[in-house]
Amino acid sequence: MNFAEIIFLFIIAVTMGGAATAVLAGSVVYAIMGLVVTMFGVAALYVYLNSPFVALMQILIYVGAVTVLIAFAVMLVGPLYRRPKEWTTAGKFGAALGVALVSLLLFVRFVTETFPRAGAPSFEMTTKDIGRLFFDDLVLPFELISLLIVVAILGAIMLALFARGNK
Amino acid sequence: MEKIISIMGWETVKTIVGLVGVLIFVVFNALILTWAERKVAGHMQRRIGPKEVGPFGLIQPIADAIKLLGKEILTPREVDRPLYWLAPVLIFVPVLVSFVVIPFDASLQVRDMNAGILVILAFSSLSVLSILMAGWGSNNKYALIGAIRSVAQNIAYEIPLLLALLPVIMMANSFSLKAIVEAQQGLWFVVCQPIAFFIYFIAAVAETNRTPFDLPEAESELVAGYHTEYSGMRFALFFLAEYTNIFIVSAIAVTFFLGGYQGPFLPGIVWFLLKSYCLVFVIIWLRWTYPRVRFDQLLNLSWKALIPLAFINLLVTGGLLKL
Repeated sequence: MNFAEIIFLFIIAVTMGGAATAVLAGSVVYAIMGLVVTMFGVAALYVYLNSPFVALMQILIYVGAVTVLIAFAVMLVGPLYRRPKEWTTAGKFGAALGVALVSLLLFVRFVTETFPRAGAPSFEMTTKDIGRLFFDDLVLPFELISLLIVVAILGAIMLALFARGNK
Repeated sequence: MEKIISIMGWETVKTIVGLVGVLIFVVFNALILTWAERKVAGHMQRRIGPKEVGPFGLIQPIADAIKLLGKEILTPREVDRPLYWLAPVLIFVPVLVSFVVIPFDASLQVRDMNAGILVILAFSSLSVLSILMAGWGSNNKYALIGAIRSVAQNIAYEIPLLLALLPVIMMANSFSLKAIVEAQQGLWFVVCQPIAFFIYFIAAVAETNRTPFDLPEAESELVAGYHTEYSGMRFALFFLAEYTNIFIVSAIAVTFFLGGYQGPFLPGIVWFLLKSYCLVFVIIWLRWTYPRVRFDQLLNLSWKALIPLAFINLLVTGGLLKL
């Protein structure tokens, strides 16, 4: 096992550890911290794949915005000292099975078919190309995603207003 | 020396030396800034400020540091230990990472990365998380309220901060801080982007939790906010991070808008530090001039004024660049 492989295994271990903490932690705050570790692990994987730009975007968006927003929402919704409602054992197994099946399908469908194999020419793409793709070929899905986010924000505002009692 | 370089490679040696230099600079900067803050505050309130320890009270911060180091490291009984211990350490990661890409001079930079500014922006979010950890881990209502405020504030002000930097990145056509400085030969970006500079500076003051936006640590209502339960060396770490952050936001402002290390006659590093510390002085000046804003005023300013303004500025810049 060479040096690069050891680093790769270390990154995988950190990512998996973070993910396990996020799922298994009793306290919501620890779950968020686990999520942060996972996001950093994924970012490290991008660096490992020689895509520092994507890695930094991962940290900027997922650690900087998404997790902080989740933390904010968690702090707003309620007493943090109370443990979340435990799932039943059957529920846990059902959820685990569901997630495992979906990930297996995704893996078989995308990873094995779409991704280049080892030894294939490396994936060359600059930020310019990414920008061109977003605003040229993929402009419709890109705009649809932003529409989805706007709808979600409007929904959140409506829910917050209704919860306060002003109709 | 030759042997070490041949074994490890020039880049690694340069990075290590740079990191050590950064650590020394961080401590030195914090010492100067605590002294400057007290001195400026004193003179603005028609007092003298520290004057007993050393000439002009210059050794005062060292005495303070020794006092903080000598204190017992207290851990309150009911705190959430891992989070409580980790928070002051974690708040230092973004500080150190930011220094790695800041160009102090044409050749005085630990690493010139082509995504330089993204490194700073991406890691700066970690300081929010560590404030959150400190607030939650302290198991104290003042600390928790301070942390929640800090998160709300940081979400609100990170957006105008990014949007104010984007026009400059578009004009310089690069994320690399060095390339941005080089693009300002002759004309500083503050001349063509005054609105962006203004927005950036307001957002930066808010991001560093300084007055008039110091709600996360408002002394009159929250004791000390998120670091209420911290004392001794752990408190000193929060303090060090705060003062270093003030320098970093000023340094980024200088790099993006004020021509970085460029200037006539004097060497680049002198210009860079001079410009940076002028901005730091403005930030200190603001603290002793303005009262603290209310929380709704704080959020309204960002969401209703700064963000739309920054978007318009970005659109106009994009349009003009395409013409």
